[in-house]
Amino acid sequence: MFDIREGEYLRLFFMALYLVTVLFAYYILKPVSRAMFLAKFDIDNLPGLYILIAGVGGFLAYLFTKAAIKTSLKAAVTASFAVAVTCLVAIWWLLGFGFPWMLYVFSVFVSIFSITLVSQGWLVAANVFTTREAKRLYGLLGVGAVAGAAFGGTFTSWTVYYIGSRNLLLASAAMTALAYLAFLGVVRQSGQALVRARGAAEEEGFEFKDILLSIGRYRHLQVIISIIALTYIVDVMIEYQFNAIAKEAFADVRRLTAFLASFYGIWLNLVTFVLQFFLTAFVVSHFGVGGTLQIMPLTIGLASLATFVTPNVASTGSARITESATRYSFNRTGMELLYLPLPTDLKNRTKAFVDIFFDRLSRGVGGVVLLVLTVYMNLEVRHLSLVVIGFTLVWIVLSIRAKNEYVSTVRRRLETRRLDLESLRINVRDRDTVRLLEQAIASGAPRQITYGLSLLAQAPGYPLEKALASLADHSSPEVRAAVFGLARERNFDGLLDRALAELRSSRPGADPAAIRPAVEYALAVSPEAPALAARLLDHPHHLVAQSALEALAQYPETLRQIITPDWIGEAAASPDAGRRTVAAAAIRVHGDKDTGALHKLLLDRDPGVAEAACRTAAALEYRTYIEGLLRRLEDADVRRCAIEALAQYGERIVGTLADVLLDDTMPLAVRRQIPRVLQRIQTQRSAEVLLASLDVQDLTVRTAVLKALNKLRDSHPQLNYGRDSVLRQFHKEARYYYELHAALASLRTNGNGTAARLLVRTLQARLEAALERLFRLLGLRYPPKEIYAAYLAVHRRRSEEFTAALEFLDTILERELKRVLLPLLDEDSRVVQVGRELFGVDSKDVPAALRDLMRSGDSWLAACSVATAAELRLRDLSAEISELSRGSGQEVGEVARAAIAVLS
Amino acid sequence: MAELNIVEKVIALESVELLQNLTPDQLARIASIAREVKFLKDKVIIEPNQPPEALYVILDGSVKISRNGDELYVAHQHEVLGSWALFDPEPLAITARTREDTRLLRISREDFYDLLADNSEITASIFSTLVKRFRQLVEK
Repeated sequence: MFDIREGEYLRLFFMALYLVTVLFAYYILKPVSRAMFLAKFDIDNLPGLYILIAGVGGFLAYLFTKAAIKTSLKAAVTASFAVAVTCLVAIWWLLGFGFPWMLYVFSVFVSIFSITLVSQGWLVAANVFTTREAKRLYGLLGVGAVAGAAFGGTFTSWTVYYIGSRNLLLASAAMTALAYLAFLGVVRQSGQALVRARGAAEEEGFEFKDILLSIGRYRHLQVIISIIALTYIVDVMIEYQFNAIAKEAFADVRRLTAFLASFYGIWLNLVTFVLQFFLTAFVVSHFGVGGTLQIMPLTIGLASLATFVTPNVASTGSARITESATRYSFNRTGMELLYLPLPTDLKNRTKAFVDIFFDRLSRGVGGVVLLVLTVYMNLEVRHLSLVVIGFTLVWIVLSIRAKNEYVSTVRRRLETRRLDLESLRINVRDRDTVRLLEQAIASGAPRQITYGLSLLAQAPGYPLEKALASLADHSSPEVRAAVFGLARERNFDGLLDRALAELRSSRPGADPAAIRPAVEYALAVSPEAPALAARLLDHPHHLVAQSALEALAQYPETLRQIITPDWIGEAAASPDAGRRTVAAAAIRVHGDKDTGALHKLLLDRDPGVAEAACRTAAALEYRTYIEGLLRRLEDADVRRCAIEALAQYGERIVGTLADVLLDDTMPLAVRRQIPRVLQRIQTQRSAEVLLASLDVQDLTVRTAVLKALNKLRDSHPQLNYGRDSVLRQFHKEARYYYELHAALASLRTNGNGTAARLLVRTLQARLEAALERLFRLLGLRYPPKEIYAAYLAVHRRRSEEFTAALEFLDTILERELKRVLLPLLDEDSRVVQVGRELFGVDSKDVPAALRDLMRSGDSWLAACSVATAAELRLRDLSAEISELSRGSGQEVGEVARAAIAVLS
Repeated sequence: MAELNIVEKVIALESVELLQNLTPDQLARIASIAREVKFLKDKVIIEPNQPPEALYVILDGSVKISRNGDELYVAHQHEVLGSWALFDPEPLAITARTREDTRLLRISREDFYDLLADNSEITASIFSTLVKRFRQLVEK
């Protein structure tokens, strides 16, 4: 029944023990606190207690959550247990003095006990088990929680006669202490998971103004909020009636405690458990959202009618069980469904608003309503039933309204395809939703049809085949594609003729959306799949042929018989690019040793053919294709495929890639892409090659190397990123920064011409890029995300962010790096001074600065410097300019020759 | 007059609003696809109802912009003709005709797209300019 796997037993045992003991302790406290209160005070004091619990209890719970968020879960749980046990002992002791106010304190404490220790138990479970484990094991934990409550109730109802109500607090304290031991067992079994977790789940933030505006805007939300308010107000009234009758029936505090313990711990829990586990899914699938939501008010109304007719323990107890059990089963599920069509962020904010504020407010309002009805209007218990019936009538109307709003919101969001698919899949068994989806697929709008079909396919037991058959001839290829796809998934063979007709009528140039699904479907259900695939392989539409080729991979023998070297040679030489694409893909069957066709196809002018050839090269992994793949790195259209293909070769080509990366004679467009290939190979060797290339001369290649290293570290932090080479490069980059800064300082004040201004802009851009590289290097030594955040703050230069970034860097960087980096972010005068002190970089006059830039090896800086020298008529630089006119590239040479003409 | 070198082309391109967020290096890459063209007086550069194929920057000379024979504007040195033509192939309803012998820098749309394919950061900068421009229009 429960799938428990190796390694989970002890974790599960301790976690279940935690929940059993905490619930045990809680179900001692709950009946004891209420029984002692009722025995001591008149029933008229109960509304005041409700208001107090809603106000003070809510506020304390809020404070606890805020404090817990700031600490680790382990620390928060330890503190909660320590406080709980201490409080229990203290309350037990103080109750001994007979102070009446202590009973109020006790009741508020019990309400907080539930919010902290019980809720914390589930938070611990969420951090101890992964999502997959939780799906299997939470049912068992739920049984543990119910058992704990039942044991607690039974224990209380028996022992109260021997030790009295007050002394049961010590039993609860002992169980709480035992629960802590279970928690320590959980910690021991789960290692670091609990140390890293926060002490409370961070609630979605909300602003009252936003929520009120949203409520004003969405009728759907108005209905939700109204139902929630009614739920809690009615809850308070029913509980009051039950307590009042119980007080009358059991005058002795021990008997009252025993009764409440059996009632809450055993009966209420068991009924809720049965409804939740065995009936809720059935009710939701048969009665839909509206029906599910109506069950609670309807049954409460009937139970209240019984209370009105015969107000006794049985009728009020039935009303209480009905109210509480349906609230935790049908109503909770119905409300979850009701939230579903809302935009996700609004749904989360509304839930946070309800959890943090609105449920307590509603209970407080319930207390005030009771106060008015009982104290000021002197209504008796049985008359309160009429008020409850009145509320339930409004509630039923609201439930009908809720269903209508739900349907119209789902419809609107279905039309715009903005429904949360994942959530809906879970609940698609709901009858209203199924009906809506059927309407959607009958609508004729392709988008809605495909969306509706995909959702209906998730509905358990839904007969989709009829809908698929009726839509197989739909005019939209998108719809037909979905139909064939779903028919294949379901192995429904009734559409084979339609699929073949689809393929017969397909022509190049027409919308191809349905072709691939039709081929895949036809080959999946056809009794003669190999023969059909062979026919389709010669189809004039290359997509049909290609799809057939892919599907034939399941029949390797047939494939080898059809795809002969002659077939490949003929297809590879075809003037039709689609046919050549199929040839490129087909080569992987035998390789191209006999034809050599793939070399040619790798260099094909058509990007589609070249991409298919890249994929085949990657599948075959012959070294002989590497050169062709490297050449395609220059082509933006094919580059991505070429990179993936080269990466597929793996570590054995890392040496070759290193040679290309460091080879100055290779085209820059190729060298720039090599880091992206290495980044995908993801081994220590590729990291080492990248680290060894950190100081390549070309800045674009260097930046590409750094980007690849940053991404590699992000995905593979366990690799070694060579501390020494990173630090060495960091100092080189910093020195480069200080040198450029010195040049910029002199040019900024001495050049006003267009060329000088261009040079200044270039230097500024170079400085920014150098700073980025410095931070990228830091990202290889320190936490990458934090370093990136610091870089953004430094880059944006917003005052507060910038200061925080400086403080962060000052804290985490080692002294040597800090000494170099932080002055760069300071005022210009300080940069100049530190450049001199650390690297001996002195300020220069303009000719000296230009001379250095011309010799820097950076062709664009050299070109701008030459143009600036000409603009400033600096004849002293003629020798350097003449040298550039002869020895550098074409573009710099042209600038230099123009400058010589000006200077001569 | 000698042909423009790369630095001079970049200086000319700095006046193009669409390219104002690019770094000098990026402008240099665009300059490498920019060709210098000369038109004698009274020659048509942009014809009405013809899809524009290039952006022009006036290096020297002047160009009259007219619609249905009515003069709208006279563009002079460093002004740009058809800057949005790089993104919008729809024909313009105007005629651009030289008023004197005129030298221009021409960037063809096809070459420009090839360049963008290889330089995603240039595409990002131009998008950023377009978005800013759009936002200004919306906020007006």
